[in-house]
Amino acid sequence: MIFSELYSAYYNTVARILARLLEGDATEKELQELVAAHAFGESALTILPSLKSGKWQLMRPDLTTPITHPPTMPLTGLEKRWLKAISLDPRIRLFDLRLEGLEEVEPLFTQEDYLVYDRYGDGDPFADEGYIRRFRFLRAAIREHAPITAGIVNRNGREERFRCIPVRLEYSEKDDKFRLLTAGCRFFTTVNLARLTFCERYCGEHVIRPFRRAARYESVTLRITDERNALERCMLHFAHFEKRAERLERNRYLVHIRYDSDDELELVIRVLSFGPLVEVTEPERFRKLVRERLKRQKSCGAR
Amino acid sequence: MSSYSELIKNFEKIRAYMREFYIYGFKSRDGYRSKSARSYDDERRRMESWLGDHMGFVRTPEGKNVFISIDSRSSQHNPFYKAWKSKSFTDGDITLHFILFDILCSPAVRCSVSELMRRMDEEYLSGFETPMLLDESTVRKKLEEYCGEGLLVREREGKRVLYRRADLVGLPAESDALDFFSEVAPCGVVGSFLLDRTGLHEDVFAFKHHYITGAMDSGVLAALFSAMRSKRAVTADNFSRGARRPGRVRLVPLRVLISVQSGRQHLLAYQPATNRIKSFRVDYLSDVKLEEPTPRFDELRAELDSMQSKMWGVNPGRGSRDGQLEHVEFTVRVGLDEAYIVRRLEREKRVGHVERLDAGTYRFTADVYDTTELVPWIRTFICRISELHFSNRTVEERFRSDLEEMYRLYGVGEGET
Repeated sequence: MIFSELYSAYYNTVARILARLLEGDATEKELQELVAAHAFGESALTILPSLKSGKWQLMRPDLTTPITHPPTMPLTGLEKRWLKAISLDPRIRLFDLRLEGLEEVEPLFTQEDYLVYDRYGDGDPFADEGYIRRFRFLRAAIREHAPITAGIVNRNGREERFRCIPVRLEYSEKDDKFRLLTAGCRFFTTVNLARLTFCERYCGEHVIRPFRRAARYESVTLRITDERNALERCMLHFAHFEKRAERLERNRYLVHIRYDSDDELELVIRVLSFGPLVEVTEPERFRKLVRERLKRQKSCGAR
Repeated sequence: MSSYSELIKNFEKIRAYMREFYIYGFKSRDGYRSKSARSYDDERRRMESWLGDHMGFVRTPEGKNVFISIDSRSSQHNPFYKAWKSKSFTDGDITLHFILFDILCSPAVRCSVSELMRRMDEEYLSGFETPMLLDESTVRKKLEEYCGEGLLVREREGKRVLYRRADLVGLPAESDALDFFSEVAPCGVVGSFLLDRTGLHEDVFAFKHHYITGAMDSGVLAALFSAMRSKRAVTADNFSRGARRPGRVRLVPLRVLISVQSGRQHLLAYQPATNRIKSFRVDYLSDVKLEEPTPRFDELRAELDSMQSKMWGVNPGRGSRDGQLEHVEFTVRVGLDEAYIVRRLEREKRVGHVERLDAGTYRFTADVYDTTELVPWIRTFICRISELHFSNRTVEERFRSDLEEMYRLYGVGEGET
């Protein structure tokens, strides 16, 4: 069962509190910090008071505990089944994952049980040895904040080299691609991993400063006419953006979306996909982008 | 009157509220007419407690509207998983939990119920001013529950029943794999449970186009997967659009279809009552109960396999049984420096074919059960569609009239080119 106290923030936090008590000389302030770090906003009102009052008989008033070992719990059947399931995912090869003791475990699901049906067809080559090697190298470099040198094939088919500090590997589920987000490099701030020809540690004397251009955010306002379930479709479709909605009248709604300006063209075509049920009201600049496409469409005729 | 707690017993109630606040977020307190005002206040407070900064509100003439707003690109871990970590429990549950695993500290330690009871009293509870009284049936029930969860193992030694910890399966040393799959794999919340057991570590990944709403349906999804793994039928509450109350349906789950372009998840299942394979929104399903295994599972899944080459999305139409297919065809103009459009056609098509008619013209054709599912995708090529033919004339007419309506909305006049 997924919804179980076994996985609860409270059990986890109490486990950490007990482990800290076993180390000795714990202070109440430290315990409060553990609650703040691992439980919820109002958990401070419950967890320590319940332990201190003896409602939960795990901690004595002098901040010691009758528990004798740092708390541990075996993996649950659900956790083992999920681990077994992800071990069947082709992307697992990107990780040096050794899962022992799961030989007899039934997976929670297999690749036969679900299908991502609208993922683009030109995803990254997750089985390619070179790709896997670069992926693993970059993960380590990100963790160590280590400067690297890398090569990429540009649009003209030529290799270009650049130096950077790798910051994150960004995965798009839609594109099924990883992109390397970098710092300290003006021209290669986001690089498709599959386009890298090599990457290695930079050992030169040049100091790479970890600057990274902050994302430029813009906002767009959409007017939704709730016919053909457009409201729900639209709100779900744009759910991953920071957004705010308001009702105008019976079946009219306004949605304000904040987006990274680098993704503007993608957003334009996503808005177009809703047809006349989603109209850009502002800014005029964005409206113009849609209008331009419609003008060009009108000239196409579409017999 | 019971006092407020940030923990909950029933996930279904919060599932509905989270969805309303995250997906829509324009209703005021009065808009939640089907719920009591107290219930609304409690659920809103819980979500504030779990989601903190992600909650926002605006004042409107109708009142205060609460919404959840998350740029999932800037969030490395799905914040909705917190809701799954809020299950309530009793004082006895938590006390017993930690004492049990302290006594059964390794798989080599085996104890009977009476031995456990004695040690709990003598070594753990007796030091408290008013020791907690745990009766044998409570302890026995908890032990059996933990055996069911795979945490403990029950063994017989003669007439004695002994309990011990389950054998050790180590957590993956690579927390990166858990970070990744907890965000992209189905039921990723389980990966988040595993991550909670690991120490803090630096995040390596970020996620784009990342839909996090599916997290709320993890319980339903896990039950559906369990049914498929054991080839069982299920019964479930299905809340169809427009209905005031959910109806109970009996289904043979065959496959879950997940969209990474809308975050929606559909169950493709055989419904004996209609003798058809149909799709059901996973977020509309609840209270899934597993029934008996069905001997037809393999046959039905094979039927679905053959249908999927004719499905653009999730609608199997009337399926392969009457073979009704609709023809879809459109042509786009591609400029000399627009090879990316051809790449788009190739990589974004899910079924069908792309053919080059001449250096600047490409045609997409497909035969599918439901033309309407392609329409949003075809619209993304607006500005270059030169021909369009659907065998479903109604859908084609609507496509064309929608286009006219868009010209009108954006002031694209007759004389303009």
